[in-house]
Amino acid sequence: MGTIDGAVTGGRGPAKHRVPPSKELLGLDIVEPSAAAERTRREGATFTVQALTITDEELVARSMDGDVDSFNQLIKRWERPIYALAYRTLGREEDARDVCQETFLRAYRAINGFKGQAKFSSWLYRIALNLCRDWMRKQRRQPVVQMPEDVDITELASERGPVESIETLVARKELGRAVAIAMAALPEEQRTAIVLKEYHGLTFQEIADMQGCPLSTVKTRLYQGLSVVRRQLEQGGMSVADIRGDAS
Amino acid sequence: MSTHFHCDDTETLVAYLYDDIDPITREAVARHLPGCARCRDEVAALGGVRQVLSEWTPPTPALRFTVVPESAVSNVVTPHVPAWQTVPRWAQAIAAMLALAVGASVANVQVRHDAAGWTVSTGWMASAPGAVAAAAAPGAEAAWRPALASLEESLRREFAARPALVAPVQVATAEAPAAASDSAETLARVRALIEASEKRQQQELALRLTQFVHDVELQRRADLVKINQGLGQLEGRTGAEVERQREAINYLIRAGLRPPQ
Repeated sequence: MGTIDGAVTGGRGPAKHRVPPSKELLGLDIVEPSAAAERTRREGATFTVQALTITDEELVARSMDGDVDSFNQLIKRWERPIYALAYRTLGREEDARDVCQETFLRAYRAINGFKGQAKFSSWLYRIALNLCRDWMRKQRRQPVVQMPEDVDITELASERGPVESIETLVARKELGRAVAIAMAALPEEQRTAIVLKEYHGLTFQEIADMQGCPLSTVKTRLYQGLSVVRRQLEQGGMSVADIRGDAS
Repeated sequence: MSTHFHCDDTETLVAYLYDDIDPITREAVARHLPGCARCRDEVAALGGVRQVLSEWTPPTPALRFTVVPESAVSNVVTPHVPAWQTVPRWAQAIAAMLALAVGASVANVQVRHDAAGWTVSTGWMASAPGAVAAAAAPGAEAAWRPALASLEESLRREFAARPALVAPVQVATAEAPAAASDSAETLARVRALIEASEKRQQQELALRLTQFVHDVELQRRADLVKINQGLGQLEGRTGAEVERQREAINYLIRAGLRPPQ
């Protein structure tokens, strides 16, 4: 990458058994994010006390002045959500990682063009979604569902909670796989609307701005998408009502 | 915003489902639901779908992306030098001569010295190369010699002066104060880079340690599961064996109790 202004580096490696750095070892005080959604927290976004005192907008302003460390803090805040978005849109870990990396590289290059009309996160989401769209167009295919055929009980054993049985965990994994398959079959607009609303907690208006369509269209896409997923799950032998009862 | 809700208004139903709705419309839907089984079922089913969607979690690889400005790195580590400056001067001189010779042969350059002074002409100016060569053959050769000799001498002078021009870098920097300050600055930058690298390595070590601990924990849990499974199987086999022995003893007892024929 000799001709570009910056390079985004990130360790590649097996996804399994990788954990975020321990707060004790790195001397970080990890606390709950104040504004981020609960799901985002569950997916690994961690914030330091210092980072929490600085808003995205302040970090963006510093980045515009050439402070690379500030931009790296923004990356730290948003790499998990952007990766999750790319993964749920594309379905493949490697592609999601590449899109995530390219998203931050483009954001870094274009940071001086960020006018602040929208939230920084919305701007990032938009870049990531455009890259996902380009990727799908280039590959001329639907998102894939990348999951192991067989469930390894010994591996699952390490993931389960203290009171969760192996059977429950296997059922949960199977459910996740069924959802991934159903989502992959959706048209891109419906899938994106569901992902942005369900997993990233964007408002209808934010999704409409991002997708460049009226508010009512977003709601229709969500309704149609959810209905299709429901039918797919039921065709796969799952009763949504039963699942709801089991889960709650 | 509406105070009445109609069953076919799916957009409002979705807004209600996600609670991304104005309070008045939410109230209207809430009033409608108890009396409409169809809408109630629809909301419950879509709520169920949302619940199922939450089971789809992405993997959590270690990303740790970091922006490294290449301009800063290249300024310090690999200063940009034009490729032609890395070639020695003598090689540059030879290349220049070769280029001159090739250019002269292509253009068919003719240099003549006669009573009218020096005359330079090219093949494009001449009517026919053969005719020019025939006409200028003896005189031209004599005219070339001094020119060639002077060129050779000037090149020799330049070669002789070369060691002085291409002095060792250390000497040049030691003599020039400006260059010395540049060197100190470069040294400081390199030190800063080394310190940053050390810091990164320490962080990497901490991360590796964490991963190692995590891996050990995973392996321990997996081993526990395997031991549990093994114990269960062993228990099953032992139970079966005890059962068989019990049956054999029962048979022996029954056989022992049988009255002699």
